[in-house]
Formats: sequence, structure tokens, C-alpha cells
Amino acid sequence: MPPGPDLDSRLRALLQQQFPSATIPAATSLAVGGFPEWDSLGHYNYLLLVEETFDVRFSMEEMAELKGLDQIAAAVASRGREGP
Amino acid sequence: MTAPAEALLWVLVLEDLLAPEGLEGLDEADLDDALSRLLAPLEARVDASTQPTVVAWTAWRPQSAIASARRPSSWSRAARRLEALLYRLAAQRPALHLLDLDAALAADGVEAAFDARNFYAAGCRFSRKGLARLAAAVEPVLQRIAAAPKKVLALDCDGVLWGDVVGEVGVGRILLGGDGLGRAHRDVQRAARRLSQAGTLLALASKNNAADVWEVFDRHPDMALTRDDIAAWRIDWTEKAANLMEMAKDLDLGLDSFVFLDDNPFEREKMRLALPQVTTLEPPADVTAWPGFIDSLDLFARFDSTPEDAAKAQQYRSRAAFADARRGATDETSFLGGLEMEAQSAALDATGLARAEQLAAKTNQYNLRNARHTAAELAALAASPNTIAFLTRLKDRYGDHGAVGLTIARIAGDVAFLDSFLMSCRVLGRHLEAWILSRLAVQLRDRGVRWLFAEFRDSGRNAVAGAVLTAHGFAPWRGADGDARRQALAGLSPIDGELYLVDLDTLIIPHLDLFNAARS
Repeated sequence: MPPGPDLDSRLRALLQQQFPSATIPAATSLAVGGFPEWDSLGHYNYLLLVEETFDVRFSMEEMAELKGLDQIAAAVASRGREGP
Repeated sequence: MTAPAEALLWVLVLEDLLAPEGLEGLDEADLDDALSRLLAPLEARVDASTQPTVVAWTAWRPQSAIASARRPSSWSRAARRLEALLYRLAAQRPALHLLDLDAALAADGVEAAFDARNFYAAGCRFSRKGLARLAAAVEPVLQRIAAAPKKVLALDCDGVLWGDVVGEVGVGRILLGGDGLGRAHRDVQRAARRLSQAGTLLALASKNNAADVWEVFDRHPDMALTRDDIAAWRIDWTEKAANLMEMAKDLDLGLDSFVFLDDNPFEREKMRLALPQVTTLEPPADVTAWPGFIDSLDLFARFDSTPEDAAKAQQYRSRAAFADARRGATDETSFLGGLEMEAQSAALDATGLARAEQLAAKTNQYNLRNARHTAAELAALAASPNTIAFLTRLKDRYGDHGAVGLTIARIAGDVAFLDSFLMSCRVLGRHLEAWILSRLAVQLRDRGVRWLFAEFRDSGRNAVAGAVLTAHGFAPWRGADGDARRQALAGLSPIDGELYLVDLDTLIIPHLDLFNAARS
């Protein structure tokens, strides 16, 4: 099942939670470095927040590969955990 | 709530500093050497900094239980040496604070707190949960660096100190001691007692007949708390908020130093609304969790518990007992007469300088002139042949209050000037000022003094001290410039407040009969 628009907006909301002072661009494909605050350390913390929120766990490889919201959404959806 | 202190936080993971291989065969001295070298930068940083440093340290690493079943494993030995060295450093450095992270992380379990993937992917040993636990454990330490602990735990009785309602079921039927819930209530009392022994004051705020509650204290064999553990109490049908306000007055403490524990959510809510400055606890629903809940409270915890804390608690208990007995006495004179007060004065010498300086610096209410003499100035005054300087101690049936008054008079011929006349507010309302004046008058007359000048400098807070002058026969004085007494006074002290004078031959000293075996 491909990820829905709802999952994308939830991931954006988590991005705002992780970077509370950042202005998050509306661009369709957003990834690490998409705004100044989103650096590699912040990205790692963001992935941990996503894991906790959707009750999923990414592998070591995924932690290295998941750079953009599209990829992250796909990884969450592939585990069947996109629902609330 | 005070903002937490700013501090440097160092998360120390022993395994990041010390490789677990190669430890076998090292003795304690070798381990100490190796660890001391690793801790040297920390030592240097703490010594160079004015900011507090918090070291949150963990020595956890996966190990087989078998390896330490017969003797400590080499890793366990290293962990213990690290702990010993850290505490040794902290003992010499008040700015260094230690946080035993393994104890804090045990709440979730190490499996939930550590995450090897995070370590290999990002160099962080902890899981998100472990990081949250770390932050939660550091926060109260930073709070305590910035703010003093709470001083009073006000306890409800029914449903807290014991189960059930004593007024309904009677002393013999309440749930206290034995097995089950009665044992949990007894352990609640023991936890409260541990707080009391560490210097926290316990108070009772109970809607009950007082006689019923005291019967439990006096007669129930499983009470862990005794009457002596209770510093203040209000056991009646008045609102608990009003009772807490009264107890705060008895103890002379602010309501913001009170913490309130009640099993009744309604009472808790009323307290939060009426007195938001009181910390109202939200205990777990299940009483069996209460002993642990009380033991883990950060509100009362201190970095060090000193014998002075316990002594201070005893003084507060005396004070509250005094206020309580005073409420009960219908006639003030008979009440004070029953106190068995014994005052004693001692000429100021080297042994009393520190206390005298403290009294001069800290007494605001019962202080005529607010002359804040330093220890050096006091030493010079005490040594001067033209000065009378003494400390007054007071004992009564509620305890020894220690040195509570400082009196200094400067003499020139038959004129004297009251340089300092001050008393700790702990002993106000006992007519001790009368006793002190009588001692001073005797000594002045022995030195040939007839005229005693006093100056009242209004600080906005010391009206109570001003009132003592007129109550004992002093009168405002505006003597002419040519008056010989004014000449003498000018040589003793500059005057910028209101000047009073008394003829020692007509000095009125009432209430001396309240004091037992008055000695100088």
C-alpha cells in the first residue's frame, strides 16, 4: 500500500515538533538539509521520534538511507503502521 | 518555581573511556591510576569553572551473571573504583554533582534505556527512552542547585498514616501494621520518619477529633511515628488551607515551603485552589505504591544532610510546641510562668564573636539601631574598658534556644549609650527583654552610670523593638546643647534616629518573676 497524504502531513508535523523554531518549506519532496536546522544530528533525532510515534524500528541500514520524507513515509507504510 | 541552575552536563559512559579487555590482572591501585588519568580533564574543568558541573555516569555493559558469581568481575571492579573516585572528587569540590545513571535507568530497565544500533549508527549509547530518563534525572539536581528543598510535609491522618477512619472504627480497628494494607500504611509512616530524621518537618492536617488521633499515636502498637516527630498540627474541622496558614505562622515559615499529602482528591483540589503556593502532591491511586512514592520525592532531598539540619528541625519543633501551648493557655502570665525560663548572660569574648556577628547581621525585627557590627568591630568593643557587651542565652521547658540576645553599651562617666540591643525573633513574646535590661542596669549602676541613652532607628521592620523603650520607662529626649549629658553622648556615638533617655534610678522592669534562677 503506497503512503497516503495523511502520513505525509503527520511526518511534517513531527518535523515541526523536532525543530520547533524552524520554518518548514511546503516543497513536495523534502529531505535532510531542506532547511538550515535540519542537520544530520537533528535528522537522527527526527528518525528516533518517528520510530517512537509510529511504533516502528528502522534497521541500521535504513537509519543511514532514509533521508527524505517520501522514503520515510514508504518505510513506515511498508510496516503497516501509518494509521493513528 | 525557581529556574533550574545552568550547568555543564557530562555524560560519562565508562566503556567509552576504558576498554573492558586488558583489565584482568590489574589491582585496585592500577585501576585507580588509569581512572584518575581519565578523570583529570574533569577535575581541571571543575576547578577552572564557576559553573556547576553534573557528571551523569554509567558503568553498565552486557555481562554474564556467571562471571561475577564467585568474585567481582574485572569490569565490576573497575565500575566500583570509578564510583569511589568520582565521589572522592565531589567531596573536595562543592560545584561537582554526580548522577548515578544506572540507578536512574533501572526504572525502565537497561534493555529499554540502551540501544546498540544508535551507538553504531550515531555514537549515542542510549535509546530515546534512555535519553528522556537521563534528562528527567538531571532536572531535579539542577533544581536543587538553584533552590533550597521544601521544609514541611503536612500529612493527612485517616487514609494516609493508617487505613480507614479512626473516628468511626476506633483505634483497634484502623488498618495499621500487620500484613496487607496495614503494612503499607506503616511503611508510609516509616518513609515520613526518614524524611523527618533528614531534617524535614512533619505536620498533621487532619479533619478529626484531636483526641482520636492522639489516642492512635499513644496507644497503637504499630505506629512508626511518635508525637515527638510532629512539629506542628491542626486536628479539627476547620478547612485545611486555613490550618496550613496557621501552622506556617507557628513555624515562622513561608507557605511555599509546605508540601501537602492527602488521600482525598477533593481536599487536594481545595488546597490547590486556596493555596497554590503549597505543593500539593498527587499520590498514586494505590496506597501500596506510597512508601516508594515518598522515598523518591525530590522536593525534600538535599545534597548533604548535616547534624545542623536535624538540630534546626528540633528548634522548629520547640517553636511550634511553644505556639501551640500559648494558644491553649487562657492567661498569658500563667502560661509564661509555666515555661520555666532560665536566662543567662555572658560577657562577649572570643568564643561568642561568631554568634554575636550573626545576630547583628541577621536580626531585623527586635533591633533598635540595626548596627551591623562585624566580628572585628565586636572584638574591639568587647575589649574596650568603656564598654559593656554581653550575649544572653535562654532555656525553657521546650528546649535550649542558645545565644539569642546581644547587648552593647558604651560608657562615658555617668552616661551610657545603648549601642546594640537586639534579640532573635525566635524568642519574642517571653519578656526576655525585661530580663536583659535588668542585667544591663545592674552592670551600669556598678560602673557609676545613672543616665542610659537609647537610639531608635526606624527600619520599617523594627517597631517591636522601639516599643520596648517606652514600656520600660525611657522617654524621648531633646536636651539642650549645653547639657553635659549631650556632650558625653556626642563622644559615644553620632545620633541620627530618635533619642530616648532613662534615669536608671527610675527604670521600670516588670515580669522578672517569670525567670527561674536568673544568673549573670
